[in-house]
Amino acid sequence: MRFLRHDLHTLTGAYVLDAVEPAEQARFEHHLRRCKPCGHEVRGLAETATGLAMAVAMEPPAQLKQRVLTAVSVTRQMPPAADRHHRSRLAFRQAWFPRLAVAVAVACLVVAVVLGALGLSARRELDRARAQNQAIAAVLAAPDARVVTQTSTVGGTATVVVSRAERKLIFTTAGLPRLPAAKVYELWLIGPPQIRKAGLVPAPSAGKTTPLLASGLVAGDKVGVTVEPAGGTSQPTATPILLMSLPA
Amino acid sequence: MYDQLAGPVYGLIRKVVRDPAQSEEVTQEVLLEVWRTASRFDAARGSAATWVMTIAHRRAIDRVRSTTAAAEREHKTAQPLVLTDEVAETVAANMDAERVRRCLGGLTELQRESITLAYYGGYTYPQVAALLHAALGTVKTRIRDGLIRLRDCMGVS
Repeated sequence: MRFLRHDLHTLTGAYVLDAVEPAEQARFEHHLRRCKPCGHEVRGLAETATGLAMAVAMEPPAQLKQRVLTAVSVTRQMPPAADRHHRSRLAFRQAWFPRLAVAVAVACLVVAVVLGALGLSARRELDRARAQNQAIAAVLAAPDARVVTQTSTVGGTATVVVSRAERKLIFTTAGLPRLPAAKVYELWLIGPPQIRKAGLVPAPSAGKTTPLLASGLVAGDKVGVTVEPAGGTSQPTATPILLMSLPA
Repeated sequence: MYDQLAGPVYGLIRKVVRDPAQSEEVTQEVLLEVWRTASRFDAARGSAATWVMTIAHRRAIDRVRSTTAAAEREHKTAQPLVLTDEVAETVAANMDAERVRRCLGGLTELQRESITLAYYGGYTYPQVAALLHAALGTVKTRIRDGLIRLRDCMGVS
């Protein structure tokens, strides 16, 4: 028994390289669920394998981009799994390749904007959407962009991508409760000197809201959301359902 | 998202699958899967890069282990793959690639060959053992201790 366990434990390396044959893989995964040190080792070695992957990065053929973006535009995203609100800031910071962490976290934002733009017919609206799209892209591309995710007090999560250098942030949500037509979620920048309106959160589609861009961020600002009468108010009139500190 | 992910994903798949047209196909599948399942990414389980590259590697492996592709690959991969000039011509011929190459250089030959054949070659460790005429248990442990040495060399926490 002891031998068997040791034997399985040494599979961590082959396992992270996808080099274990199916039957043995199933046995190992069964073992992995109960073996904490194995899980820890697998995670570390998987990050190491990622290093091997990054070392062979290669410029893909130019035509691939259009094909992927086209395919993305007709592919539905899966809703977030239940009980998984652990996308902590800490973990993002520890990511071995943090820029990529940002890229993945905001993958949905970029495409949501593109899709939003495709849905509009009027030329002027398209232009406006395009300008908005570019402004959002600038935040995402900022070297100091950081991602923060937090659960609201009424359920659902908000994700913020913030760039201090651009003094902007992008705000998006998933799974917020639906509001009656007379109500709206309003976003605020809450600073020590004053509270400023930062826009109305768009109505969700498939549980997610399209990105909202807020500008004029100053040091010490927090992000807050309240439920307000449709059309919004100039100052919050209710207790925030979400109050997020931003990374410095 | 595309610009950040496409290079690493395509590079890895190309390394494993080799055929450019098939690599493009698999890359598209992977990027779509990342897009489709982005909300399921769980940072508690590892970095985003690892999440993406794990999907990419598994898809590439699925492709090369499917029977038709396997037959065609047999004669293309007669020699064990090693990281040589191929790294230099990639876009990531940057510090990361340099560091990985240096760290691979610090392994024993058996460790290095076992790891590169398994990861870049897409072979299972029993296949690697057969290719290298080494004992099964030896290859299994060399892969593990080689990766541990790489991990320490690359400074992955």
